[in-house]
Amino acid sequence: MVDFSLWDIFRNLLLAARWTVGLSLIAFIGGGLVGLALLVARTARWPGAERFVAGYVQLFQGTPLLMQLFLAYFGLALFGVDTSAWVAAAVALTLYTSAFLVEIWRGCVAAVPKGQWEAAQSLALSFGEQLRYVILPQATRIAIAPTVGFLVQVVKGTALASVIGFVELTKAGTMITNATFQPFLVYSCVALLYFALCFPVSLTARHLERKMNVNR
Amino acid sequence: MSTVEAIAESAAVKTAASPIVDIHQLRKSYGSNEVLKGIDLQVKPGEVIAIIGKSGSGKSTLLRCINGLEVFQSGSLSVDGQPLLHGNAAAMRELRQHVGMIFQNFNLFPHLSVGRNVMLAPGLVKKTDSAAGEAKARQLLDRVGLGEKFDAFPDQLSGGQQQRVAIARALAMEPSVLLCDEITSALDPELVGEVLRVVEALADEGMTLLMVTHEMGFARKVSDRVIFMHQGRVHEMGPPAKLFGSPETSELQQFLSSIH
Repeated sequence: MVDFSLWDIFRNLLLAARWTVGLSLIAFIGGGLVGLALLVARTARWPGAERFVAGYVQLFQGTPLLMQLFLAYFGLALFGVDTSAWVAAAVALTLYTSAFLVEIWRGCVAAVPKGQWEAAQSLALSFGEQLRYVILPQATRIAIAPTVGFLVQVVKGTALASVIGFVELTKAGTMITNATFQPFLVYSCVALLYFALCFPVSLTARHLERKMNVNR
Repeated sequence: MSTVEAIAESAAVKTAASPIVDIHQLRKSYGSNEVLKGIDLQVKPGEVIAIIGKSGSGKSTLLRCINGLEVFQSGSLSVDGQPLLHGNAAAMRELRQHVGMIFQNFNLFPHLSVGRNVMLAPGLVKKTDSAAGEAKARQLLDRVGLGEKFDAFPDQLSGGQQQRVAIARALAMEPSVLLCDEITSALDPELVGEVLRVVEALADEGMTLLMVTHEMGFARKVSDRVIFMHQGRVHEMGPPAKLFGSPETSELQQFLSSIH
């Protein structure tokens, strides 16, 4: 039997953590873009957009991420799309993230005083210009702290992608456990690595929140 | 005098005579609550109009109808011959370039410097290039006495200064009509004067002004015509000396005595 040193365990986990980071970034960037598109559609009151976005948010916030991952993995295959665990995880996490972000950001847009819209309208700005030059810059300032805070949820959410066979931090932990029979040690390392990823993000969110409050 | 000049002059005379704001039988309701019950109003170019009345009389709503911030249900409204068409984005954009508005709460854009507040709309809507836009903004800020505040941010200014920036911002679009919605109501008493002086200077320069105001002394001094609104109607209208000196209706008498 091969002996695993602590460094072997840690090194392999670190390598797998790259995929956790990668998946988090994809979920966050993809979710951010989809969320922004939904936000614009909703704010512009496109016909049916408000109801669609409300339904979308309910659907993805009202079902477990685990089910969404299963559905993405097995469901896409049903439509003849050959899905790797990679694609399924990226799609499911993007949709999940966008549903939360659009709701967070909607609140931030609503927090911009109505007078700002009215002033921008009175200056003959088009809807797109009102949004881009007046409303979104202000909403962004409000949104930074809760958005960064939500990133922590996304990082931890990627752990669920292990169930469809995507090898990230958690899945790597399981595989190493199966080889070393030292679950406590291995999962302690896994938890430590998640903490090392999330803690700086939380700190940043708190720092940004304080900074924004001072500025306002 | 050539024929061309003669035609141009007669056209000028004609525009001077025709109203710049023309409101006809305007009705507006929130749900079943009718707040404007058929307003008729013609404003001549260069005229200064003060709208007074109790809160809830519909005076602010009337003002906000003129640049389309409120949607009205029936009647017609045109500015500079341009009819107000809700739901037609191009027509609204065109009309709003003729109408400037100043708000009670200033509504400056807090994330932009004073200069950028003034330059934003001309740059986007009129495609003014940034050098010309900046020169114009500096000139307008000088005019309201805030030339040195170009790079300051709104939250570094007093209320009176913010309101004067808001005036400069509205003027940057070169409107033919300026709407003032209780523009001194949110100000500390000692700051009211500086804003009113700017408005008075505009009136003297021939700007068409419609202002909802509680400053009766100012309305009396500056306006050409005073409109007293009561329960969604123009209840009494006339030159300030007549309205304040010898009010005809009991409602206006009551209103005037209540504020003194």
